[in-house]
Amino acid sequence: MEAVTANSSAVIELNKAVKDYGGNRRIGPANLTISKGEIVGFLGPNGSGKTTCIRLILGLIRPTSGTVKVNGFDPITNHVEALRHVAYSPELPNIQTFLSPRELLNLISHELYFPDNANLSSEIDRVIELVGLHDYAETKVGKLSKGMIQRLSVAQALVGSPETLILDEPMIGLDPAGVVHFRDVFRDFAAHGKGTVFMSSHIMSEVESLCTSVAMIHHGKILFKGSIDEVVGKVLDYSIVELETSPLTPQTIQQLKEISGITQINVANSGKWDGVAIEITVCERNHDIRPEIADIVVKSGAKLYTIKHGENMLEKAYIEALKETKGGKP
Amino acid sequence: MALVAFTILLSVLPYYALSQAGTTLVPTIVYPYLWVFAILLVGPLFLNFTAILIAAGSMSEEYEQGTAELLLSKPVRRSDYIAGKFLGGYVLFLFILTLTLVLSISSAFTFFGVQDNLYLIPGLFIAQAFSSLLFFSLAFMLGELIRRSSLAYIFSSAVFFSSYIISVFLSAIFRATGKVVYKTVQMYLPTSAASSLPIQYALPRLPPTVSTALTFISTSTLRPTISFSIEILLVYIIVAVTIAAAYFLHADISRKLS
Repeated sequence: MEAVTANSSAVIELNKAVKDYGGNRRIGPANLTISKGEIVGFLGPNGSGKTTCIRLILGLIRPTSGTVKVNGFDPITNHVEALRHVAYSPELPNIQTFLSPRELLNLISHELYFPDNANLSSEIDRVIELVGLHDYAETKVGKLSKGMIQRLSVAQALVGSPETLILDEPMIGLDPAGVVHFRDVFRDFAAHGKGTVFMSSHIMSEVESLCTSVAMIHHGKILFKGSIDEVVGKVLDYSIVELETSPLTPQTIQQLKEISGITQINVANSGKWDGVAIEITVCERNHDIRPEIADIVVKSGAKLYTIKHGENMLEKAYIEALKETKGGKP
Repeated sequence: MALVAFTILLSVLPYYALSQAGTTLVPTIVYPYLWVFAILLVGPLFLNFTAILIAAGSMSEEYEQGTAELLLSKPVRRSDYIAGKFLGGYVLFLFILTLTLVLSISSAFTFFGVQDNLYLIPGLFIAQAFSSLLFFSLAFMLGELIRRSSLAYIFSSAVFFSSYIISVFLSAIFRATGKVVYKTVQMYLPTSAASSLPIQYALPRLPPTVSTALTFISTSTLRPTISFSIEILLVYIIVAVTIAAAYFLHADISRKLS
């Protein structure tokens, strides 16, 4: 058995991991460390190497060079030890259609040598309830909708109370209520640093609202890893302030332009109410100028309805990062 | 389900058809031993082919459907997984073999009266189970190497039928020319070992009339000794299982077909 090395709080470590499929299909060298208690969003365009990285972590494929460690163990040579407290939820898995969710979870539990048979039934009930499958627990998988199958995919990962969840597009196929529900489930899972979540996703808003940090991968290389603010800050040299007000006079707009750091002001009429939506671009990311903006608007006699930092900054950073790596084309 | 239905059909229909033919086709002296014919004549074709059908998809279908990926992402040893797949498939084959025996004996009882030499059942069961393990292992290995069920079925069946046809062909040439080399080559073919053992076990224990009838019907295969058959079977089985296991333990797990 291998001892836990360098970073004892690291749950997942990819160290110069390369997977060479031959030809031009090469992923890596990828360096990535996920620590206990993190909720990490794994971002990257199609074909960037997200799934390959996940498969490396799960010990399904061998790295051509470099090392992969999960809980300090090599997931190939010490598969059981590495993945003992790790669970994986694939995107819309193929599950035998003749099984019901309860039967599948029973099978999985037996496979995992669930330690206490007496509690097996209550554990399955707990997981079914947790993912919102209680009304479909006895329905055959063949009759389940896409969203229900995705819930089942997450349910089979949650059986046995793992410590690390690896999720491949967990929100896919879910209705909005399901998305909100799963967000809470994952937050609870990781609450107080108990559990670690590593999830790949294309839904930036989900990642932004759920994850404590993100890792971006492109052409098989990890471009950035850090908190959302850090990653956005590395890519974007500006921030955005959004406000909704009653129409502003040209003098007020001119006053706003004179605030230090503001580079651009876009004013658009709101189609729904008698006011304007204003987007202000600020070149100094670390300087919060909202109080100054609010002060000028209020003193001008206009009504200030909302003022906030711009949303979807992660998405903007993601697109910008891709542009940089592709020479300006998203 | 299809396999079970096919087993029932093959184990019942021939007896019913023979019973309708009367004594002109089947001499009454053979009636008490007709149950043996099901194993010795149907076995080489149906049971070995059934073993291929079960084993060829055992691993490959799991890759195609993505269930291998799902299961192996759990803390499960690869060696446990492949052993489970192999043994699980083989248990299913043993069920089909048991069903074939039970139905054949029941049908023979029903249509031709009391059956004799039933003490041969355990020995025949073991001989056939061991013989069919050869093509089970070959198909299992091909399923793992190819990882596409349809191709695995085709290749395994091609090996089976090619071996069968070549065996008949070499046997005929040997009988015509008397040259031992043809017999030697034929004995090493997988179908020879896989279809010889039950006959080698049963023939000395059956009345001469029945043995002669069986020998006459199954002349296509030149049978080596029992120990030689076992050796050949073991070599094929061990090589196939070793290759399948080594490849599975070393190779990447294929992704599901999209």
